[in-house]
Amino acid sequence: MELIDGYPAAMRESIALVEQTRPTRLGRTFPAMTPEQRRELLLGHHPDYKDGAKRPLLFGPNKGMLLNHELADLFEARPLVSASLDLNDVDSDVDLLIIGGGGAGTVAAIWAVQAGLDPSRVLIATKLRHGDSNSTMAQGGIQSADRPHDSPAQHFLDAMGGGHFTNRPELVEALVSDAPLIIHWHEQLGVMYDKDEQGNFVMHPGGGTSRNRMHSARDYTGLEIMRVLRDEARNLHIPVVEFSPAIELLCDERGHVAGAVLVNLETKRYHIVRAKATIVTTGGLGRLHMQQYPTTNHYGATADGLILAYRAGAELVDLDAIQYHPTGAAFPAQMAGLLITEKVRGMGAQPVNCKGEQFVYPLEPRDVEASAFIRECSLGLGIPTPHGIQGVWLDAPMVDIIHGPGTIRSALPAMFRMYTRFGIDMTRDPILVFPTLHYQNGGIITNPDGATTVPGLYAAGEVMGGVHGKNRLMGNSLLDFNVFGRRAGIAAANYVREQAQPTRLSLEHVATYERHMRDAGIKTTRTAPRILPDYRGKEALERYLDIPL
Amino acid sequence: MSEQTGMITMQLMGKNYQVPTGLTIMAAIEYAGYKLVRGAGCRGGFCGACPTLYRRSDNHRIFTALACQTLVEDGMCLVQMPFVPVVSRRYDLHQIAAKPNTLLQHFPEIAGCVACNTCTRACPQGLQVMDYVQASLRGDIERAAMLSFDCIACGICSSRCPADIKHYAVGLLARRLYGKYVTPDSPQLAARVAELQTGNLIADLNALMALSQEELRARYEQRTFETSEENKEPFSAIQHYNSPMDPVDYKDEIEV
Amino acid sequence: MQVAYYPGCTIKVSAQHHERAALAVLRALNIELCELPEWNCCGVLHSLTDDNLIRHMAPIRMFARLEEQGAHEMTTLCDMCFNTLAQANTWAKERPERIRAINSTSGGELDYDGRAQILHLLQLLRDRVGLAAIKARVRRPLRGLTIYPYYGCKLLRPSEVAMDDPETPRVLHDLMLALGATVAEGPLQTQCCGSYHVVDREQLVTNRVAATTDEARERGAEALVLSCPLCHYNFDSFQGSNHAALPIFYYTQLMGIAFGLEPEELGLDAHRVALLPVLLEHELVPEGVQVN
Ligand SMILES: Cc1cc2nc3c(=O)[nH]c(=O)nc-3n(C[C@H](O)[C@H](O)[C@H](O)COP(=O)(O)OP(=O)(O)OC[C@H]3O[C@@H](n4cnc5c(N)ncnc54)[C@H](O)[C@@H]3O)c2cc1C
Ligand code: SF4
Ligand code: SF4
Ligand code: FES
Repeated sequence: MELIDGYPAAMRESIALVEQTRPTRLGRTFPAMTPEQRRELLLGHHPDYKDGAKRPLLFGPNKGMLLNHELADLFEARPLVSASLDLNDVDSDVDLLIIGGGGAGTVAAIWAVQAGLDPSRVLIATKLRHGDSNSTMAQGGIQSADRPHDSPAQHFLDAMGGGHFTNRPELVEALVSDAPLIIHWHEQLGVMYDKDEQGNFVMHPGGGTSRNRMHSARDYTGLEIMRVLRDEARNLHIPVVEFSPAIELLCDERGHVAGAVLVNLETKRYHIVRAKATIVTTGGLGRLHMQQYPTTNHYGATADGLILAYRAGAELVDLDAIQYHPTGAAFPAQMAGLLITEKVRGMGAQPVNCKGEQFVYPLEPRDVEASAFIRECSLGLGIPTPHGIQGVWLDAPMVDIIHGPGTIRSALPAMFRMYTRFGIDMTRDPILVFPTLHYQNGGIITNPDGATTVPGLYAAGEVMGGVHGKNRLMGNSLLDFNVFGRRAGIAAANYVREQAQPTRLSLEHVATYERHMRDAGIKTTRTAPRILPDYRGKEALERYLDIPL
Repeated sequence: MSEQTGMITMQLMGKNYQVPTGLTIMAAIEYAGYKLVRGAGCRGGFCGACPTLYRRSDNHRIFTALACQTLVEDGMCLVQMPFVPVVSRRYDLHQIAAKPNTLLQHFPEIAGCVACNTCTRACPQGLQVMDYVQASLRGDIERAAMLSFDCIACGICSSRCPADIKHYAVGLLARRLYGKYVTPDSPQLAARVAELQTGNLIADLNALMALSQEELRARYEQRTFETSEENKEPFSAIQHYNSPMDPVDYKDEIEV
Repeated sequence: MQVAYYPGCTIKVSAQHHERAALAVLRALNIELCELPEWNCCGVLHSLTDDNLIRHMAPIRMFARLEEQGAHEMTTLCDMCFNTLAQANTWAKERPERIRAINSTSGGELDYDGRAQILHLLQLLRDRVGLAAIKARVRRPLRGLTIYPYYGCKLLRPSEVAMDDPETPRVLHDLMLALGATVAEGPLQTQCCGSYHVVDREQLVTNRVAATTDEARERGAEALVLSCPLCHYNFDSFQGSNHAALPIFYYTQLMGIAFGLEPEELGLDAHRVALLPVLLEHELVPEGVQVN
């Protein structure tokens, strides 16, 4: 395909219109909506309120919770191993099993060892490589109220309001009051946060926060935190098995969680881990592509932990609310779904349609903004791309026009670099965006120490629910995996000390789950957990032979 | 649509596949029917799971790329390199000091760098890899930390280095030393941590916890906003962020 | 005067005090050393294999980077770096195809034209600044202090890169006279100190160091002056215990003393054999001075 400075000719035509209207749009911003208009727009176009997109869960402790079909499908699915699997040969006998080697899992492992567990009696089992996770992808920053005119109480207010007061207050309390301790810990571990000469953090504002409390490490905050944590865990000699996702939890005869069945993704051999306590830290679900949305999430974000925990009887919360970020990249294909920071709009870039017209106030709340983009595209005013999806323009060059040449390069260097890689100069041309699936707001219910409703099972990080209610604020999830990873690690270590090694391992809970499913009238051949999404080409799959090799 | 359906030929580990133009190398491999287990992580240029080596017909060199960040080209002959073994000595950061020879002591092999700059040319992040190795060699921890900061540990440099240097492990230790010992600890944070110990701040929090939901909402509405540092005016992106209404208010969970 | 500066690893890791003293002294002479923004290790030893392009790349890269900055001359304090860089440069300049081979092995990234050169700081002082100017800057002549200049190998051998007469070098001699010191000399001034044998044959180094310091003492020297950080290490560490050890100075430190600079600026503390007593004895530093 012929590209002219990064864009195909058809898109160039629309860009010409954007350029034409730019002078008249400067200084003239589309008016913000009234609450009534917003409500209407949300109900009409936000994916969370789309008719027919969700169905209620039909059985189990959360019977009635509305879930996107893609997620509901996984709850209404058969296990990958049958309940009669031979569990007699235990491959790993440990005190603490941690499922998920992202941020939360690694923090939990480190603190369990700090709390006294022998590192060789801890095991991290993870799906891909240690650290291949959403944690590594976070760019913006991590919140913590540590300046004099800020306080944990202020942080509490912001988080509760951001979550529309659906958050569990005791979890938010833990989140905000541990935050400075976490940043302090990171400082001791050598996380290279942006600092001024005195050593104070350079703080940025973030969506929904009333104080500037976003600590960042350039545009690579998550990467920097994750690689330091991984290094620390390695140095503490904490064993990690990679490419070995958990596909089922194991229980003992009392129904307490007692380990998991892992599968080696390369040999497909299963591996029984017996553990006195288990922490689930499997992260989010973007790769389920709810309603076919692209996602910002990593390859392994497929909600496995939710399924495993629910089968073992854990309660869930707030899984009806999914966070869509309004500005995911829509072009070029290799950037599809990747995050374009809110700052671009904050600095004056207007969203415009294919005719170069404004259609929404640039800084509506995230959900409203996203809905407006979706509506515009459904009205045929979006810009089609060669790879099939549509998007709206974000008129990036306005940033330099408003704030002076060079602003984009200096204030948005990561964005600039990313587009430059694909031949697009965002100082000259608009960029194409469309909402993208970003974050799982809800998850497994825990208490402030990460304990779920099932003894022996803990959860931390994106997989847990309640702390953000129905809507998370930027910067609170890097924080939450640290706060609750640490708390869960310590609590599990203490729990382990009082436990004997479980004697009998069983998968009876899975059999029970299947019975509930049958009772609810669900017949299916689907299996879960999903483990990895399938992006193989249709053409290739049409001739796929499932032959033994 | 004719141009969009244009196909090109990619040679993957010695086999030819027809794939559409405009795909990333990663998507092209999947299009061809491979289900990736290794060789894909974040799919967004952050994790380094997808290093790829390739050649073009018009050049004798080996090129390197991140499969998730690079377009497939006609005639590309490629292989993914999902793993570069790195075994390095463990350390306890709290027990070592940031001395000029600390990095050399932990990674004596950096003295073998012949300054060929192969690593720099191979780095898909465009980092000055040799320069950070050289900075490490001469004990310039700050420089090594700064130059290596954007490293995503893909390992391509280490697979190409004639001196068998573990670049990204060196950079990581340099950055941790820099973060811990070279930059000063935050005085504000230290004060806050001390203050937390006194319990005053927790009392404020408890007071909020005791409020009814209506009172809490009122307090939320009354929040004052910090002005943005540069222009001393409220940064509108922040205030406009929050939806004035609750999604849960008007469409509740359905009971069945 | 501004001069491009190639420090080398040794200077940054184990001879920082030499650099500190050099910078102070050059400031006093109105010379600014501009450290190359990015530089690599010179490779330490010049490779004698002609076609081992990779081994020649490190030093040649430094000349190429120098030229990228639009300069053609750079200086270094380290005798080892000086020697390696100078030898590689000579090797390259001998035949243009060698430079072409290096440039193309670099993947077209280097573009060296063979016009740059490396100066040892002693050369810079002697040939660009001039001993007269140095003498004019002296505020506290080293009167009464007898010094034995030690050259070692790297300034003088091989002769193609020698910065002074390989048989009878004078540069340190002349410099010390300019500073007002008395000079003691002898045949062992240019003998190798044992160099890297310090790692495997310590006794050899000890013997050589002892022979040289014995000669210096016999000829009335109270201190030894040198330039090379490796020689410095060997002399400072392996004098044995038969005699009171001779203090070992870098010429930059003695220049600083003679210029009347603050002793703290001159890194006098970082030595095993204390430097202060001999300086105090000759009233070259103020009474009661502290150096750390
Ligand atoms: C692009 C992007 C930008 C973001 N920016 C920010 C930001 O600026 N600030 C902020 O606070 N938050 C941000 N977030 C959110 C935040 O990064 C995540 O919510 C958080 O890091 C989640 O941490 P976690 O440890 O719970 O999950 P993850 O880090 O995703 O780790 C989960 C791990 O579990 C593994 N796993 C999954 N299933 C299994 C299984 N069955 N068995 C074994 N292992 C399994 C996964 O492979 C993964 O390694 C961002 C997220 C994304 C995607
Ligand atoms: S590839 Fe190895 S030897 Fe070559 S410059 Fe890089 S670190 Fe040095
Ligand atoms: S420095 Fe090496 S490991 Fe790091 S990103 Fe570059 S090539 Fe990859
Ligand atoms: S998959 Fe993470 S960098 Fe390519």
